[in-house]
Amino acid sequence: MSVRRTLAMVRKELRHIRRDARSLLMALALPMFLMLLFGYALNLDVDRIPTLVYDADQSPESRSLVQKFQGSRFFEIEGFVDNYSAIERGIDRGDILMALAIPRDYSRRIRAGEPVAAQILLDGSDSNTASIALGYAQSIVQDYSVTLRSEGADRRFGIKLQQAVDARTRVWYNSTLQSKNYVVPGLIAVILTIIAALLTSLTIAREWEMGTMEQLMSTPVRPSEIVLGKMLAFFFIGVADTVLSVLVGVFVFDVPFSGSVWVLALTSTVFLTGALFWGILLSAVAKSQLMAFQMGIISSFLPAFMLSGFIYAVENMPPAIQAITRLIPTRFFVTILKGIFLKGVGLEVLWTDLLYLAGFSIVVFLLATRRLRQKLA
Amino acid sequence: MTPPNDNASAMEARGLVKRFGQFVAVDHVSFEIRKGEIFGFLGPNGAGKSTVIRMLCGLLTPSAGSATVAGFDVSKDPEKVRSRIGYMSQKFSLYDDLTVEENIQFFSGIYGVGKEIREERRDYVLQMAGLADRRGTTTGQLSGGWKQRLALGCAIIHEPPVLFLDEPTSGVDPIARRAFWELIYQLSEAGRTIFVSTHYMDEAEYCHRLALMYRGRIIATGVPEDLRKQLRNHPLLRLETSDALESMRVLEGQPRILHAAVFGGGLQLTVSDAAAAAGDIRRTLDANRIAVDSLNPVEPSMEDVFVALIQAEEEKEG
Amino acid sequence: MWERIFCIVRKEFNQVLRHPRMRTMLFVPPLIQLIVFGYAVNMDVDNITMAWSDLDHTPASRQLLADFQASGRFLLVALPENEAEMRNLLDRGDAQVVIRVLPRFASDIVRGREAKVQVMVDGSNSNSASLISSYCSQIVGAFSARMTAAQRRAQSTANPGPSPFAMADARLTASPRVWFNPDLVSRNYFVPGVVANIIMIVTVMMTAMAIVREKEIGTMEQLMVTPIRPVELMVGKMLPFALVGLIDMVIVTAGALFIFHVPFRGNWMMLVSSVILFLLTSLGAGLFISTISQTQQQAIMSSFLFATPTFMLSGFAFPIHNMPVLVQYITYLNPLRYFLEIVRGIFLKGTGVTALWPQLVMLAIYGIAVMGLSAITFRKRLD
Repeated sequence: MSVRRTLAMVRKELRHIRRDARSLLMALALPMFLMLLFGYALNLDVDRIPTLVYDADQSPESRSLVQKFQGSRFFEIEGFVDNYSAIERGIDRGDILMALAIPRDYSRRIRAGEPVAAQILLDGSDSNTASIALGYAQSIVQDYSVTLRSEGADRRFGIKLQQAVDARTRVWYNSTLQSKNYVVPGLIAVILTIIAALLTSLTIAREWEMGTMEQLMSTPVRPSEIVLGKMLAFFFIGVADTVLSVLVGVFVFDVPFSGSVWVLALTSTVFLTGALFWGILLSAVAKSQLMAFQMGIISSFLPAFMLSGFIYAVENMPPAIQAITRLIPTRFFVTILKGIFLKGVGLEVLWTDLLYLAGFSIVVFLLATRRLRQKLA
Repeated sequence: MTPPNDNASAMEARGLVKRFGQFVAVDHVSFEIRKGEIFGFLGPNGAGKSTVIRMLCGLLTPSAGSATVAGFDVSKDPEKVRSRIGYMSQKFSLYDDLTVEENIQFFSGIYGVGKEIREERRDYVLQMAGLADRRGTTTGQLSGGWKQRLALGCAIIHEPPVLFLDEPTSGVDPIARRAFWELIYQLSEAGRTIFVSTHYMDEAEYCHRLALMYRGRIIATGVPEDLRKQLRNHPLLRLETSDALESMRVLEGQPRILHAAVFGGGLQLTVSDAAAAAGDIRRTLDANRIAVDSLNPVEPSMEDVFVALIQAEEEKEG
Repeated sequence: MWERIFCIVRKEFNQVLRHPRMRTMLFVPPLIQLIVFGYAVNMDVDNITMAWSDLDHTPASRQLLADFQASGRFLLVALPENEAEMRNLLDRGDAQVVIRVLPRFASDIVRGREAKVQVMVDGSNSNSASLISSYCSQIVGAFSARMTAAQRRAQSTANPGPSPFAMADARLTASPRVWFNPDLVSRNYFVPGVVANIIMIVTVMMTAMAIVREKEIGTMEQLMVTPIRPVELMVGKMLPFALVGLIDMVIVTAGALFIFHVPFRGNWMMLVSSVILFLLTSLGAGLFISTISQTQQQAIMSSFLFATPTFMLSGFAFPIHNMPVLVQYITYLNPLRYFLEIVRGIFLKGTGVTALWPQLVMLAIYGIAVMGLSAITFRKRLD
């Protein structure tokens, strides 16, 4: 392999990239756009759940329960109604997701020390939001129930009552439970996949389409030098995108970064190399740029989005799909990134994932070189 | 060839101009074409031939000037024009993934060919293109010459009085080209007006009348014979010597020799006065000890005519 | 006029059905999406991996563990002995939650002191974490209530008479009633959305590609010199893909009903008519993309850049009411948002025109506007 020939390839590729406005736009604007979208607009945090209140009791006791809901940041009381059909209408139209209904005899039963239930009506169509909302509502009611009980005991008998068992919940790594902390690190992996697969996949296909590949074939440049030269050129873009994404994530969106920068650099280099080789393999297999692009979307973009654990947790998937995710390098890089950003772990935990990525890079490099050699022969 | 004896005008362009930004692609082009004429539009690549054709078909709006095709103004009545013309673009433009018959069927539908004559027209096109026994073949599998005849067939499926052919023979082998021109003659004899652009100068000989386009302007028009006559004051001499390159070196710059070019094994010289120049040439070559095998006047080909016209044009522009 | 349109439609079908790639584009993406969204995109948290560290070793602590296991949501994966082991389990992601029962757990309960259980949740996936912690506190809360009741019984047998623990009955509970999706299965939410998505992607991309391909191979120029009118060309080009959209709708709906058993509570006609309204918009968008693209590659790239934000800001995967207010306003510009509301309403809620008319009106306005805009930009000229 000749360094000079490889460098000549790199220089040529960099010139192509610089002159192709669309690719450059794709390489720099798309990552920023996705970052902004996920960092700012899209999140799975369930708060400000639009809620209606139907208080049939209208007593100081019932109002004090409503106040507990009003005081919570998870609920946004949209209004008060005086019958069930208003609630039904609101849920049908999708104006509200939840309603709190307090029965007519609520205060009487509380005062009499009888059990009473407050009704939580939920639009279950978005099951995730509904489950979380239900969880919050139940914990508000439960807490309030304990308060009521101990107040009652205090008032009547002058004793302090406590609940029997208290669960002290501590959330590790992402203690504020913000979805952006979860999504943004994984997004870096997705962005790199898109860049590598979509941008790179066009490069060899374009050379075939323009006929310049035949020209290259007639020179002494070897398939491995072509693959490596093209990879290195796009590698610079990938590194720029990584740095940009990490900086925006950490400084604009305040995502915690608890791990080591060096581990991040090492693992992203390995991942990027593999992803770029994959893009080159695609373009060597595809007959046209269009086909390369479509193959890139189907083989890289969609799996990176859906099956990498970037948003949808792998552990929630059925075993067969979990097995498929093991074929997707982005999945391992998402795990690594979340480990570095949120958990602050290093290679002692992440070495298996890194080993997989390294193996993937080597295999894909060999495949791409072989494929190109076959095509040249 | 003589044009059919009919003086009615099929098409007229008056001062057509097309600008793309700063670039003037077509610069005040005017001409008139009679019914049944084969009008050749010649010129090097990029001269503006396709742009003129596209304006005449209503695909591009003229920046200035006007044109009438088959009796209708192309800017005001583009749809009326379109139903009276056939167009075959430079690039082969049928559907490769449809069969021969499906292509014909599609275009006869699009052109609104009446149901009762549709089959007859289809059979005519199949027979004309020689594709009668390949009607079920996917068009992409046909070779260049067949495709081109099929494209012509689809362009005339609705029997248009005017036919535009934009470089119809580019990329086709010489035998297929000859066959294609046979078809064009048949159409012309059937009374159709044919506007054909080409950059093959030998094809110019096939046309009734020619216009030469260069850098957006028409620099000459006329029947081929007349254009050749314009070259009378620049006769051509054909010279065979023992060393063509050396002869060219010593002859270039001589006052009576306007242009010298290597041609075959010898030289072709454009001179100002045939007899006087012949004397000069023999003397110069003798002095340089180059043996003259032959030196004869030759009849200029169309290519020579156009090279000379373009050179004259370039000198004028300086 | 109809004859010329029919001519284009027939040609379009001939081409699409003959092209292996186009054929795959018709049927593979719907199936992939259906399977991915049906099986993989799952926000339900089941089989939570749990590590249990019992520092008490009493029947009471074992009972709590039994309660967790009986809930069916938790899967015991480890019994860590010390802090380092717990940390390690969370670091490696082997356990999503570690529960530690502190010493004197049982004796605190007996003495009426507050017994403590530590719950450590891996918060990196904020969504799973909030569900896990709410499941944990529900189980612990139920356990606690049972213990209190047991205390009361013990107390009242020991010394009858009025007792503070009588108040234990004065419990306020929340009785949930979940509508439309009572088992809270996220599949029921996502799969109907796939219908909307498929229609958008297939129609926008295929319409744009079909027109631009003709530009690329030069046949568009050939069509433009024929007497066909722009509107005939447009309609002829779009009808086949509208039909494809409807077929995809049938495929995906059938999959949703028969493979994933998603409820369908609404009206068929309502679904079909809203799909047709939405098709106006998506076909128009495809047409518009084709007018601004010169090559198929540009077309596919533009469709991609159009589809991605439309998809993200539609409420398909990310609830709109979670977005910042400004972005929520932006989603009102997104036709897919209305269409999704309609489709989900029809599938899950069985709502009809009375509740959904604003969305239908918006879709109609969009359809007409987008179609009109593309019709204006789509001319039979090259310049």
